[in-house]
Amino acid sequence: MNLFGVLQESWPMLMEGLGMTVRITVLSLIIALIVGIFVCLMNISSNKVLRGIAKFYIWLIRGTPMLVQAFYFYFALPQLVQGLTGTQFRIDIFTASLVTLSMNAGAYISEIFRGSIEAVPKGQMEASRSLGLSYAKTMQKIILPQAVRICLPSLVNQFIITLKDSTILYAIGLAEIMNKAKIYVGRTMESFATYTWVAIFFLAIVTVLSLVSRYVERRMNA
Amino acid sequence: MIAKDNNEIKIEVNGLKKSFGKLHVLRGIDAEIRAGEVICVIGPSGSGKSTFLRCLNRLEEISGGEIIVDGESITDPKADVDKIRQHIGMVFQSFNLFPHYTVKENVMLAPVELKLKSKAEAEQKALDLLNRVGLADKADAKPRQLSGGQQQRVAIARALAMEPDIMLFDEPTSALDPEMVCEVLDVMKELAAEGMTMVVVTHEMGFAHDVADRVFFIDQGVIMEEGTPVEVMDHPQNERTKSFLSKVL
Repeated sequence: MNLFGVLQESWPMLMEGLGMTVRITVLSLIIALIVGIFVCLMNISSNKVLRGIAKFYIWLIRGTPMLVQAFYFYFALPQLVQGLTGTQFRIDIFTASLVTLSMNAGAYISEIFRGSIEAVPKGQMEASRSLGLSYAKTMQKIILPQAVRICLPSLVNQFIITLKDSTILYAIGLAEIMNKAKIYVGRTMESFATYTWVAIFFLAIVTVLSLVSRYVERRMNA
Repeated sequence: MIAKDNNEIKIEVNGLKKSFGKLHVLRGIDAEIRAGEVICVIGPSGSGKSTFLRCLNRLEEISGGEIIVDGESITDPKADVDKIRQHIGMVFQSFNLFPHYTVKENVMLAPVELKLKSKAEAEQKALDLLNRVGLADKADAKPRQLSGGQQQRVAIARALAMEPDIMLFDEPTSALDPEMVCEVLDVMKELAAEGMTMVVVTHEMGFAHDVADRVFFIDQGVIMEEGTPVEVMDHPQNERTKSFLSKVL
């Protein structure tokens, strides 16, 4: 029950795990932002097929738990590929984790983008088009700059969710912070102290993220 | 009032129809508008007058008929809608200024983005226009710092920055507090006096009476009655016009 003794002793392991947690989260979010932009553009396009693909993807991700998605990418899909091609096929834990987390966040982020674009009043598009500006120019100069401001709070919220959800990848064996904490607890039985520190680490990161986002928001609205 | 009967025809509307699904909003509108004319469109709400106006710059895709501006069909599928809109200005009921730009940037944006003017030229023009609508001192303010009347005057300046030869006004004073209606109408009166071709959807009967060359009374998707303000508003022939005017005057 010695909090600081445990912190000192578990520090190298927990930091290693936290490093992995941060790395997988940041990488996934970068991919998810790109996925999100494309899926959002598909979703608001006038092409029915593109719209259908976007909606199907979002439906799949939103309708299944991330734990199931992780197992699917790590165990189920490789087996399917193996069955279809007849050759040995494996996917490493890090790749499966990265795919899971970025596909998951990508779906939600695309919806955040879509919602933000739709939240820009219709009159903005009409006013700009009535001046003779093209759809693309209007998007670039009028709609998107306003949508970015609108989406910021929800986007940071999604970053926080994705950071926390990365602990689910413990279940397929990713060496992130929960995994390291579990190993440490298994060795020392110090579950209270160890998990308290894990919780504090998350709280610290999330608090910093929230403060930064509030600061950026305030600057943008000025 | 100067007779504009011999001016060239600026806008010609033939059998214009517009439906939203099963709802037939415009059911065959014919009209001719001459250069320099001020047309006020009046009528009950839901009669289709705003839709009619929005068809004139193709903010609404029409369902039938055609609209000819300066001798060229703008409703032709091959017509370049962005080009057409560059010389037809529009002012909206809800101003629709761009909130993330300053007043001056709102006015400069279109000429600069369309590469019709250099930044410096556009800025000079914007300041001139803001001066004209009495808002030169607000050039660097953001739209939300302005009153409704001021925002609407900026919106007029923004439309004028494209140097249009037709201006469309969609109930420009309906969202304003009563004490701000005048400042906007005054700017519009000035424009009219300078010979701008204007189509104004309005509930301001006094303005229609004083400024319009002709008044269109639209009801149930057609022009029920048209003529000079004296003809339509003082001596209406149509029963529906009479009943409408008795309610608003």
